[in-house]
Amino acid sequence: MNFRVSLLAIGALPLALGCSSSGSCKGDYCGTVVFVTANNPKTLLPPVIDNTGARDIDEQLFLRLADFGMTINTVGDSGWIPRLATRWEWDDAKTLVFHLDPRARWHDGVPVTANDVAFSFDAYRDPVVGSSARNSLTKIASVTVRDSLTAVFRFKEQYPTAFYDAVYQMWILPQHLLAQVPRTDWLTAAYGQHPVGDGPYRFTSMTPGQTYVLTADSTFFLGRPHIRKLIWKIVSGPQAAVSDIVTGQADALDFLGSPANIDQAKKTPGVSVVPYPGSNYMYLEFNTRANGDSSRPHPVFGDREVRRALTMALDRQAMSTNIFGPYSKVPPGPIPQWWPIWDSVRTIGFDSAGAARMLAARGWRLGADGIRMKDSVRLSFEVIFTSTSAARMAFARLMQAQWKSVGVDMQIQPLDQNLIRDRLVSGKFDAVLQGFNSDPTPASGIAQHWVRGAPDDFSHWTNDDFDRMVTEATSGTVSVKQSRGYWRAALNIINADAPGIWLAAPDNVAAVSSRIADLTIRPDSYWALAWTWRIPADRLIDRDR
Amino acid sequence: MGGGGTWLIRRIAAAAAIVFAVVSLTFVSIHLAPGSPFLPPPDRPLDTAVVARLNRQFGLDRPIRVQYVLYLKNLSQGNLGYAFSRGQTVRSALATAIPDTLLLAGTALALDLGLGLILGIILAARARHATDLILSNVTLFIYSVPAFWLGLVLVFVFADWLHWFPAGFPTSPGLYESLPFFGQLGDRIHHLALPALTLGLVGAAGTARYQRAALLETLGREFVRTARAKGVSERRVILVHALRNSLLPLITLAGLSLPFLLTGSVLIESVFSWPGMGRMATDAVLARDHALVTAIAMVASAMVVTGSLVADVLYAAADPRIRERAS
Repeated sequence: MNFRVSLLAIGALPLALGCSSSGSCKGDYCGTVVFVTANNPKTLLPPVIDNTGARDIDEQLFLRLADFGMTINTVGDSGWIPRLATRWEWDDAKTLVFHLDPRARWHDGVPVTANDVAFSFDAYRDPVVGSSARNSLTKIASVTVRDSLTAVFRFKEQYPTAFYDAVYQMWILPQHLLAQVPRTDWLTAAYGQHPVGDGPYRFTSMTPGQTYVLTADSTFFLGRPHIRKLIWKIVSGPQAAVSDIVTGQADALDFLGSPANIDQAKKTPGVSVVPYPGSNYMYLEFNTRANGDSSRPHPVFGDREVRRALTMALDRQAMSTNIFGPYSKVPPGPIPQWWPIWDSVRTIGFDSAGAARMLAARGWRLGADGIRMKDSVRLSFEVIFTSTSAARMAFARLMQAQWKSVGVDMQIQPLDQNLIRDRLVSGKFDAVLQGFNSDPTPASGIAQHWVRGAPDDFSHWTNDDFDRMVTEATSGTVSVKQSRGYWRAALNIINADAPGIWLAAPDNVAAVSSRIADLTIRPDSYWALAWTWRIPADRLIDRDR
Repeated sequence: MGGGGTWLIRRIAAAAAIVFAVVSLTFVSIHLAPGSPFLPPPDRPLDTAVVARLNRQFGLDRPIRVQYVLYLKNLSQGNLGYAFSRGQTVRSALATAIPDTLLLAGTALALDLGLGLILGIILAARARHATDLILSNVTLFIYSVPAFWLGLVLVFVFADWLHWFPAGFPTSPGLYESLPFFGQLGDRIHHLALPALTLGLVGAAGTARYQRAALLETLGREFVRTARAKGVSERRVILVHALRNSLLPLITLAGLSLPFLLTGSVLIESVFSWPGMGRMATDAVLARDHALVTAIAMVASAMVVTGSLVADVLYAAADPRIRERAS
């Protein structure tokens, strides 16, 4: 037997050994969808989850009071779809009343009540629990119970994204199961390994680091899900995930990544490639204070004109195309594609000759080695980024080459993610190349990084006008149109000051098995609507039955 | 107690000392590394108060010597701690991962020794012929190739391109559970094929070269010449007379292969999404999961010294000269 025949024999072994499914499910409520991801959930207890893998699973296990429609509107309450709440009304400008659906049940049969809503708010706000959503709930003064099916939210002030904060940041939790668990132990609580939710799918089993299995709740009060089983398969990295899609081992991957992967998926029979607005953007953040000494300005990045010149020296469109092909755009600020404020923003264009002139005008003269100097200081700095990102490495190399052509020396320093956090917090860095997976509103995304005193304000850049525009956009009774106007004004200010360089906002391109019908992908949470998908009876394969 | 017993006790004591040293060094180095198991992902806001509270709650803010003493105390009671990167106890995490690593390493070792032995015999039997020349260069090439690179090539060719094999993972989720026993067995073999082949091929290439040299040396001995002079067929001379006497190096090699397979599996398990100790170790180091990293180092070092010890014992059992020297 030659080598090829031997391999074919091993390849066909499962068939030879009786690899036909013993399942016998037929009709409209069969089907198994295998999602592949590299994000390994540590826990499924919603307030303490820390990655998108856990979020995707929790979307099927738990319900919010209301959910986004496809418009992803975060201002006001239009476009929101009832979930646990059948309806809501504003008693006054700062009091929001939710009426719960009396049919809603936890998977152990206990009814969902307004007490669960109040308990959830208390838990999410509790610093002992340490939820990452805690900071987004600071404008909610209280959540109280009017009766068993009525929960009342009182806000400290009137602001445009009040409804969004009330419903989007929290999944409602079962008080009867969690009240007795000490909150200091929630991170390691057994509940997080086999949660009881109220969503369309019930938790079935898990093997940490390998698989999470959910089964459709046939009694789900908003309608029985068509797909019987959802499985999350945890693999070691993005490339392994792509291989799983290509070989048919998995049905859905949220982000294909490189153009080569997208092309490969397009050529794979039985796989549909589905683009949807991206939630991610990549950028270079300058430390405007000296590396390791925040009391002094950075010798290079402390100067606004130098930051602008460095921005001008980069052909960002060419870099973005080089790395992501046609599947990316250069953002007009620290914003992803799905925030609707892309138009009419002033940005700094590519002009390497202009950049060289600006640097010279600021006193940075070319030295003998081709690198600029000023007062015996070389125009040299280090850019740190996480070593596991091929895209960031590619951006770093392209930036290095372009900056060198105008006399700027950039050192590339890929690091472990933990080390990067350490350097950012301690201010021991010159510039950092980052990717940010934003939530649906600039109100938390931009405020998290760029407003004075923000939790992740590592650049130490400050601008009072910018802060004022952000405050205007996120407070009072502004309309959607007014809010966008303020955001555009804020983006114009941050672009003019250039505390960072916005490099790319990639499209999200998912790969999904062609077996799946009624496919809808919501940009903020790609698999959130999986409970509305179905696999028609004539498309079932072995694992569906 | 005879000399053999004393020798064995000395070896076991030395093995225990090595494991203790590995645990101590790993504990100190992972605790000195910057970062915390409680840091949020980069796109979530950093709440330093929460991180500080969790560090305090789990004792990670204490001086390292205090943590070390506490760790040893817990270890002596069989408490390996909590694996934050997995959301389970370290004991449970290891119980899940060790069987997968042993399955992969065991299959790879069988491939390594089996294929290496067969190739070594062919190379020695056809020494200085074209077959020897070609196979020697092929084995040298494979031996010099990094295992992870070979793994990536196999994934590209046999999974992504030809679709003959899955690109790793122990089973087909969604399908495996519904299969009959032999179907499940076939599914496991199907998934095991590429990672085991990757690790096994690289090892087999080395084993083949050792076996060739050992067999050629034996074939030059007087008893072989005598057998040939008696008219014993060349096939019988090689497979019966010479082979048995050239197998001793293989025992040593088998013992030495275990560390190679365990270290190799760190990368191979990541390439093939194989949920064993290697992949878990990589994830744990990146997540600064102190307890899990230390426990993996302890188990891996225990496996390596045990493998080495077993090889020594087998070697002594197979070679009377070693037994005599030990006693």
